[in-house]
Amino acid sequence: MTESPPRSGVTIEVRGLRKRYRSTVAVDDLSFTVEPGMVTGFVGPNGAGKSTTMRIILGLDAADEGSALVGGRPYRVLDRPLRTVGALLDAAAVHPGRSARNHLLWLAQSNAIPRRRVDEVLDLAGLATVAKRNVGGFSLGMRQRLGIAAALLGDPAVVIFDEPINGLDIEGIQWIRSLLRSLAGEGRAVLVSSHLMSELEDTADHLLVIGRGRLLADTSVRELVTTASGDRVAVRTGMRTEAMTTLANAGALATITDGETVTVSGLPVEHVIELLTRDGVAFTGVSAHRASLEEAYMELTRDAVEFGAAAGREG
Amino acid sequence: MNGPVTATTHRTTRTAGPLPAAGRPGFGWLLLSEWTKLRSVSRWTVALLTAPVLIILVGLLSAASSQAGNPDSTVSGPDGTWVQDRFHFVHRPLTGDGSVTTRVASTRLELSVPQQDGGDGRTQDVERTVWSKAGLMVKDGLRPGSRYAAVMVTPGHGVRLQSNFTTDIAGPAVGAPTWLRLTRAGSTISAFQSSDGVSWTPAGTVTVPDLPQTVEVGPFVASPAGILMGERQFGTVQFERYPTTTRAVFERPTLEPARATGAASGEPQDGWRDDEVNDEAGQSGPPLPAGARPDKTPQAGPPAAEWAGDRLTLVGVGDIAPRTKSEDVIKLGLTGAYAGLMALVAVAVLFVTTEYRRGMLRTTFTASPRRGRVLVAKAMVVGAVTFVIGLVAGVAALLITLPITRDNGFLPPVYPDWSLIDPTVLRAIVGTAGVLAAIAVFSLALGTVLRRAAGAVAIVIVLIILPQLLAGALPTAAGQWLMRLTPPAGFSVQQTVPHYEQVPRICIPENGCVYDQPWAGFAVVCGYALVTMAVALWLLRRRDA
Repeated sequence: MTESPPRSGVTIEVRGLRKRYRSTVAVDDLSFTVEPGMVTGFVGPNGAGKSTTMRIILGLDAADEGSALVGGRPYRVLDRPLRTVGALLDAAAVHPGRSARNHLLWLAQSNAIPRRRVDEVLDLAGLATVAKRNVGGFSLGMRQRLGIAAALLGDPAVVIFDEPINGLDIEGIQWIRSLLRSLAGEGRAVLVSSHLMSELEDTADHLLVIGRGRLLADTSVRELVTTASGDRVAVRTGMRTEAMTTLANAGALATITDGETVTVSGLPVEHVIELLTRDGVAFTGVSAHRASLEEAYMELTRDAVEFGAAAGREG
Repeated sequence: MNGPVTATTHRTTRTAGPLPAAGRPGFGWLLLSEWTKLRSVSRWTVALLTAPVLIILVGLLSAASSQAGNPDSTVSGPDGTWVQDRFHFVHRPLTGDGSVTTRVASTRLELSVPQQDGGDGRTQDVERTVWSKAGLMVKDGLRPGSRYAAVMVTPGHGVRLQSNFTTDIAGPAVGAPTWLRLTRAGSTISAFQSSDGVSWTPAGTVTVPDLPQTVEVGPFVASPAGILMGERQFGTVQFERYPTTTRAVFERPTLEPARATGAASGEPQDGWRDDEVNDEAGQSGPPLPAGARPDKTPQAGPPAAEWAGDRLTLVGVGDIAPRTKSEDVIKLGLTGAYAGLMALVAVAVLFVTTEYRRGMLRTTFTASPRRGRVLVAKAMVVGAVTFVIGLVAGVAALLITLPITRDNGFLPPVYPDWSLIDPTVLRAIVGTAGVLAAIAVFSLALGTVLRRAAGAVAIVIVLIILPQLLAGALPTAAGQWLMRLTPPAGFSVQQTVPHYEQVPRICIPENGCVYDQPWAGFAVVCGYALVTMAVALWLLRRRDA
């Protein structure tokens, strides 16, 4: 078997993935592609199926249906998986009695990665000075850094981080963001999950929004915002009835939202002003409503948030 | 606390040099990886090092509290084996080559103390187990422990050719009445059996080296005591000893070449001398402390030989065989293996269950998606480490206990000198290390199946301790099977006292003697390890990590 992992150009392809745990559907007919050279944000509420999907990509959980391929191959047949995929699933998944260096060392040895690379990634993650300390004494932030160091051990073409920003301080968050950007800049495929859109807002190039195991959006950040804004225009006017008539005649959907305001959707703001001026409807203000990414996300996932005790596995 | 890096800059994520690209890493890398895991948790290292300390300490305590009994006799055979050599012998000298022939007309075994409570079948048990012996012998004089070869009929065991106490060859499966013949040619002794005194069947040949030119030859009778295990109280065993006598009738004992020795009166008994060889006589001589062995009144010897024409009636007691002892010095020194085992079991279980508990197994399986290989590597690392620990601790425990047991009276010939390179000693040490390794692998596999440390450790410990407690309380047969089928069976590999088919053996099941073949018990433990490993491998592939 020959495997010459290209350092870039490797994709993650997920097709028709389905997974259920007893009565709970964790992932439902999920398909997407994670492209190299960009940061793909994987967002959805808790329990949406993000971690399950990642575990399936990594060959840890078996899918009931569908496939997840890394560079065209199932993860389980990769000869030296750390050389192709670096993953951080759970920063707490380290033995507290082991030093950071030894934790990385056994990982490196399992993939025949030379010892010097351990020191390189320790350095990279800023853990060089605490390398010999037991992980048990690490803060959550330091553990996240250790997990990232472990993921980068094999200089992989694909990077998968599950909630890497969780528990980091401002400094750490900035570090992660710039790291993600530079990993993508080096041509790697970067898949990062979060349950908070704001964490990924400035970092992700592309977004996969997931809720209740289903893909809700597979889009760029800009498109998502535009779609969510939905060309809504707020008109403040004392002549509400006239305004409503004018706008309704033009085919727009107008509603009175409060005493002074009529909200219009389906017409661009310029067109609204033109119509109102033509019909002589006086107005004191017109403002285009622009949704934030967070709002767009909230709207998308409103129905998908799992309420109540569907606890089970963190998704 | 914050990581000590500046926030916005970071060094390149690229490697400084090339990393190996193609090909699956060898299994050796996986072994190295698992070894790094094991050695890098200091708590485990401490626990692993506790094991040899416990093994040595418990061995030391056992040796210190042990006391060798006062033996009835300290006669040893030609090869140094501690032996019993007591029988009734009617003999005459034979110089050079020749042969001796007789017909054993009848043998009758009697319990010398009649049983009052006859209904319990004890008499039959004694008759079934006792190897009473009547036949012909060639012996280097009358000194107890001297060289010999003998052909004999033994009720229930047919015709046997035995020599120098430890050699036993089965001949035709017939009993009295039968003709027997023993021929000597140099140091080669051959036995024959015949139903009519005309046509003879070979019954084996033995070599008895260093036999002098002149030997004593003639009919003999020996009749050992039967030893039966009494009713078991909880934790204690009583042995009951049933002395026996055997009365045998020989017809026409003849020597070839016939040589008229002394005054030839023509009577058949001319030239035959009547003696009882007794290794216990004269042994109880010098330093008998007052009040010691009160029940050991010097037994009156059996009645003298009686001749009626050419018919010789001979009554014998005693036995010509290796003596057995209940204490095994090597096993004693290795007792601590049980204690050390607990620490090893704990580490073996934790080695896998901590990975489950912390989700670390996912990291392991992302690095090595072939899960079977991972578990096999873990098992090999745990097995090898426990094996080495067991080996080092076993050698140390034996060397440390050696002078203590000597001081406590464990001396030759009853307790022969031993060295680490004796095959049986080596087997006990290597076997003990092997049992520890197999139980560690079993523990690891069980930890993988259950994914919980507490449950796995509890099950292993119960499987090791409980059979020994129960075996002492159960009927002997049940206790024997319990000890045969549970992991403690492995410790039967520690037996170094040899067993002889011709010597009935008393086995207290919990003493690790349930298998005659020392390695058989080891195979049982390996079975536990292999079956559990197979289940663990199957589950590992099937389950989501």
